[in-house]
Amino acid sequence: MRWKKKDLELFFQSKEYVDTLCIPLVPLDLQTESEATKLADQNTSLQIILDELERNYTGRIMLSPAYTYIRSTDYESESAILKQWTSMFSNNHFKHIFLLTYDVNWKKHERLLDSNLIWLTATTIEDYQSDHAKKWVNEQVLQISELIRSYW
Amino acid sequence: MSEKKQPVSRRQFLNYSLTGVGGFMAASMLAPMVRFAIDPVLEATSGSEMHAVVDVSEITTEPQRFDWTVNQVDAWYTSDVTKSAWVYKDENDEIVALSPTCKHLGCAVSWASNPDYPEEFFCPCHEGRYYKSGLNVPDTPPNAALDLFEYEVKDGTLHLGNIVENTVQEGGA
Ligand code: FES
Repeated sequence: MRWKKKDLELFFQSKEYVDTLCIPLVPLDLQTESEATKLADQNTSLQIILDELERNYTGRIMLSPAYTYIRSTDYESESAILKQWTSMFSNNHFKHIFLLTYDVNWKKHERLLDSNLIWLTATTIEDYQSDHAKKWVNEQVLQISELIRSYW
Repeated sequence: MSEKKQPVSRRQFLNYSLTGVGGFMAASMLAPMVRFAIDPVLEATSGSEMHAVVDVSEITTEPQRFDWTVNQVDAWYTSDVTKSAWVYKDENDEIVALSPTCKHLGCAVSWASNPDYPEEFFCPCHEGRYYKSGLNVPDTPPNAALDLFEYEVKDGTLHLGNIVENTVQEGGA
């Protein structure tokens, strides 16, 4: 399910079945072109993976709008805000919350978080319609969903 | 995924095979004659949108999942949407193309994915189950059979179209 009126209506009717939330963590940085384009590309690829995950597990996983932040941030204070998000969501709603990101800094600060962090290693994909890309996306989705299902 | 500003670009015409209902309707409104010039597939199916999915020779009696991509235009968005179907030949050699969307809350079901139920479709979300025909197994969360895709075989290729209700009453073979 997504953060959309129709999905949320269904969510409130079937809350007991939708117990898992996925939040993408998306860093922004406009200092250099190469960094900015790299981050934008990672954002696209993360979104594609999460769209596919959501499509396969619509009935149990809610996909949150992305948590977006400045990359050179102080991760201590950023994680405090992120915790406010997750506590708002977990409060009587979601039993399992997963944070998904390409940003390795979260991995370093994992102890500050109270949800499950899934850190994906980066890759560059030129053409998302290619067979190679599709295979890669499917593999990522498979691995992530296996991990998530181990919590169910 | 970058050049989606113009609703009907030249590229989209050339990419007709990946173009979904909305995109194609826009195309046909603006240039109704072009439609017939492009490809015979489109002549035959001007009513509903059919997409080439797989060579029929690949279809067996064991359900297999095939994916394809359509370009979907909603009111404000254009997006590439991946679709899937579980396809097999039944005991009468008829092609059956089932939608993977669970009738409970919409997760994707898979054939034989649960070792306890090797001859059924299984939904990983809340353990919904379906027989091979798509009929829902009683006392599992889904309350209806998996939908079917309209299909057509042209020149040895399976084309899938709209989703229709599955009226099976009995379990599959
Ligand atoms: S979504 Fe398939 S059993 Fe609930």
